[in-house]
Amino acid sequence: MESPEEITPEIFVHLVHLAELELDPEESEYLRRQLNGQLRAIREMAAIEVNPSTPITSHGVPYPPEARPSLREDIVISCDNADDILGQAPETDARYIVVPDIPHTDLG
Amino acid sequence: MTTALCDLPARELARRVRKGEARAGAILESALARIGAVEGRAPSSEAYLSQSDDRTKVHAFITRTVDRARRQADGIDSRVRKGEDPGPLAGVPLAVKDIFCVRDTLSTAGSRILANFRSPYSATAVERLEAAGAVTIGKVNLDEFAFGSSSESSAFLPPPGNPWDPTRVPGGSSGGSAAAVAAGEAALSLGTDTAGSVRQPAAFCGVVGLKPTYGRVSRYGLIAFASSLDCPSIAARTVGDAALALQVIAGPDRHDATAAAVPVPDYSEQLEAGVAGLRIGLSPDYFRLRYPDPATGELRDQSIEPDIEAAVRRAAETLAAAGAEIIEGVAMPNTRFGIPAYFVISRVEAASNLHRYDGIKYGYRHPGTVAELSELYQRTRGRGFGVQPKLRILMGMYVSAEQYEKGYYRQALRVRTLIRRDFEAAFDPRGAYRLDALLTPTTPTTAFEIGALYGDSVLMQYADLLTVPANHAGVPGLSIPGGLDHRGLPMGVQFLGTDFAEGALLRIGRALEALTADEPWRATRPRVLEGLAA
Amino acid sequence: MMVDYESVIGLETHIQLNTLSKIFCPCKADSWGEPPNSNICPVCTGLPGVLPVLNRAAVEKAARLAAAVGAEAIHEESYFARKNYFYPDLPKGYQISQYDEPLATGGTFDLPLPEGAVRRVRIRKLHLEEDAGKTVQQAGRRWIDFNRCGVPLVEMVTGPDLRSADEAASYLIRLRQLLRWLGISEGDMEKGQLRCDANVSLRPAGTDILNPKTEIKNVNSIENVRQAIQAEIARQRRQMESGGTIEAWTLDWDEETGTLRKMRSKETEADYRYFREPDLLSIYLAPEWRDQVLADLPELPLARRQRFVEAYGLPAYDAEILTEERSLSDYFEQATGALGGEPKAVSNWMMNDVLRLLRERGLYAGQLRLTPADLASIIRMVDKGIITTNTGKDLLAKVEDSGRRPEEIVSEEGLGQVSDEEALRALAEMVLTENPDQVGAYRAGKATLIGWFVGQVMRRSEGKADPQKTREILDQLLST
Repeated sequence: MESPEEITPEIFVHLVHLAELELDPEESEYLRRQLNGQLRAIREMAAIEVNPSTPITSHGVPYPPEARPSLREDIVISCDNADDILGQAPETDARYIVVPDIPHTDLG
Repeated sequence: MTTALCDLPARELARRVRKGEARAGAILESALARIGAVEGRAPSSEAYLSQSDDRTKVHAFITRTVDRARRQADGIDSRVRKGEDPGPLAGVPLAVKDIFCVRDTLSTAGSRILANFRSPYSATAVERLEAAGAVTIGKVNLDEFAFGSSSESSAFLPPPGNPWDPTRVPGGSSGGSAAAVAAGEAALSLGTDTAGSVRQPAAFCGVVGLKPTYGRVSRYGLIAFASSLDCPSIAARTVGDAALALQVIAGPDRHDATAAAVPVPDYSEQLEAGVAGLRIGLSPDYFRLRYPDPATGELRDQSIEPDIEAAVRRAAETLAAAGAEIIEGVAMPNTRFGIPAYFVISRVEAASNLHRYDGIKYGYRHPGTVAELSELYQRTRGRGFGVQPKLRILMGMYVSAEQYEKGYYRQALRVRTLIRRDFEAAFDPRGAYRLDALLTPTTPTTAFEIGALYGDSVLMQYADLLTVPANHAGVPGLSIPGGLDHRGLPMGVQFLGTDFAEGALLRIGRALEALTADEPWRATRPRVLEGLAA
Repeated sequence: MMVDYESVIGLETHIQLNTLSKIFCPCKADSWGEPPNSNICPVCTGLPGVLPVLNRAAVEKAARLAAAVGAEAIHEESYFARKNYFYPDLPKGYQISQYDEPLATGGTFDLPLPEGAVRRVRIRKLHLEEDAGKTVQQAGRRWIDFNRCGVPLVEMVTGPDLRSADEAASYLIRLRQLLRWLGISEGDMEKGQLRCDANVSLRPAGTDILNPKTEIKNVNSIENVRQAIQAEIARQRRQMESGGTIEAWTLDWDEETGTLRKMRSKETEADYRYFREPDLLSIYLAPEWRDQVLADLPELPLARRQRFVEAYGLPAYDAEILTEERSLSDYFEQATGALGGEPKAVSNWMMNDVLRLLRERGLYAGQLRLTPADLASIIRMVDKGIITTNTGKDLLAKVEDSGRRPEEIVSEEGLGQVSDEEALRALAEMVLTENPDQVGAYRAGKATLIGWFVGQVMRRSEGKADPQKTREILDQLLST
């Protein structure tokens, strides 16, 4: 029983754009096929009747009050190696991290 | 024939170092010698050309931190000489899955996009192990960003091989962890388990794999895949070693708001207490795989490999003979929705967690000139990520984008509740089963050949069918060796328990380990160790 | 035919909380003026593997604000959510914010308008989120500084209830006053501690439809908000009057040229894919704790202003000035209490001399060494004629500088009013002798010079001469 593809080539292209990715045509076709294969399984799960009163579970384990770590006190602790972090950036200048610009459009 | 230092359990190594009977330096040299003998060439992210030793060696380590390890070992030996406490894991060789940040070392997540990332900080779990005296030998290979069940998707190739048969996968995503421990290259490994990523490789490689309760161990420094499912986990050669390691890493952390403020018990205290009177369940839902065929959509119902089923049944009999009560027919009806729910939940979280790899602040940035920022993002991510991350990102985008999502995410979170309820019912002290643990196979098959499943993401994912429910529910799981199949490949048996019941699982696992200590398969060693002086 | 249009304005404000540390990591919250990328850590720069840990004080301050605007509900449990998009100054590629389960919903902000009217502005919701970094555009590139990443923000969204650019500016002024009053933020727009995006649309007056609105961003002062909104209202009016339609653009205000620019922002196209933040547990506000926050709420500025008018009989003008800042209003009440009455006198002294002193020294009333009791003493001494008004005014600075009590200073420096007739007469005669021209002019009819003569005697006496008696004596001398 073949069902129509959920992710069409057009939707796929849009997803790639949203994800800020760049793919070659082979990769694209492979990925699109894999996604649609996975969606079959997902649709099966989506079709099961779940009682509307079933709550969502964000973490499997519950966090009753005793298990919740307390919130952080408002105390300053400076990081001792900010420069190491900055040193990871591919391009810096005068301690700024530098990247190409995003254009604006002037309004009449 | 004395056992080589590198093959001794961690507990014994630490005992000797603390007593002054062995030097940490000597243990380190033993591990390095083993690495020299079985590792083969180091995996690299350069263009991959297969070589003859690719399917005969282990190739577990992306980075070996030898100088650092020597300094650590010297430090421990010095403390012992001065009569200071060197820690409960003194001198124990440790391999860290390269999904953890370790300060001043390359922390790559098995990806080109972080191939040059030298972390400015260390993960809490690593710090705790090192503070306890463990000596970090290096960072081991994995599926890229922990996405996978075979470790084949790493950008660092060749991928790790299973020490029992290096033409086969060690499992994944913590394949390097399990392989290194199985081959004696380390006594312990810190890995992660998101859908079974330590338990499954442990089963494939014939070692112990422990996934603690979600929130038992701090995730700070664990390069995130699925934030609500990831658990720092342990690969070890014995159950006692797993208990020792968990003791060190468990507990709240000011850097992790999800690390539960639950007291850490003494995990070794009840280790030898045996299983008399304990209730151990078996569920029919864990002995078959049910999934829709990826090509036709038809529901397939496949049993797990007969050797594995037999191993689990034998384990049940062994435990029954030792006084445990075996309860059959435990219903876990929502088990089969574990994988599709996982497809949705983990992808939504993963896609978001991978947003930060944009070439701006660290890691790979596309080096050519670009006209605008968008191009920089696309080239960087296009070239920096392998296929598996791209697959997860795109699925994550699809099922969470407002314009496309069809309520899949919300449904998956509610299905997760159903999966959780299966466990709550199984362990409810006033319920029908009142279990101390559920005994299941760890995996539906033993280690498959390198290249056999890779490319079929659905079949690859279903390798995790028996392990992923525990991640959804947050409960702990322990996989221990349960025998060898007819091909001589390791099989794992899994114990699942209730929240924060690692102590009970370790006790049961230890009992089974002790009861099977004299079985013939225990004397068999992985193929890569053949011919090596023990 | 000219349609009468009504402006429909809603404001979305981002308020930087004045906690000591950031919202999810223990870096300093205030790094204004520090070198770029010096106030950072793995967490606020979104390094691989890091996790957020919530600052308790951020929750407390946000809850206090919610209580102050009379939130309909300060939720016992609320959740953080990830807002996913790509932008260079957003290190994780998502902002931890709140979406459909915010800290508080509902509330009102009453804005006093001229002529006693009140604009009731509805507060839609109030939620916590983290700030992003800063980018500077220069030479075709973007320069990014992460110092500000992770500073706690409260986002407060109004309904489309404001009706003019002036009202919008007024709202921001009142909001800033409230933030300072509660001690949760300095609210200084120039320092980015209060940011405002304005949603603007027009509709025919008297209708209640909502037309497509534009959003104005990047306006960094209250005055610029006023101007930007005025410019946009004018633009929309022109557009609609010429038969055009308004599209839901995002606009950027260029301060230097005073013009609006359309932004081609990826954000306007973005699908944020909101989902609950899995790295954080819910924000849980225990009912007892929440009740305590409400109980601890101080009397708010407008309520206090009203009470000053009613209880002290002060004119609205005085009450407005005295309640502009909280410690100033506390000071007024304490001084009036110490004096045992005379609120108008206290008010006069405060509005003129005390405020001048505060401005000169850059202080808040609560920081003065000159206590409310000191002020009361000074006023009392003037009332009793122990010192002149001038001496009293000088005493303010003297007490502030020395930290000594006014009575001490008066006796040590001999500042008591000189009322002795002989002494005054001697001074007066000296002044008249030394200024024959002025005496002549006075006798010729320039009666106002009497004041000048009194002033001269005051000067000679270092301000201590009893002005009343001095005048009487001068009158005598000049009439002979």
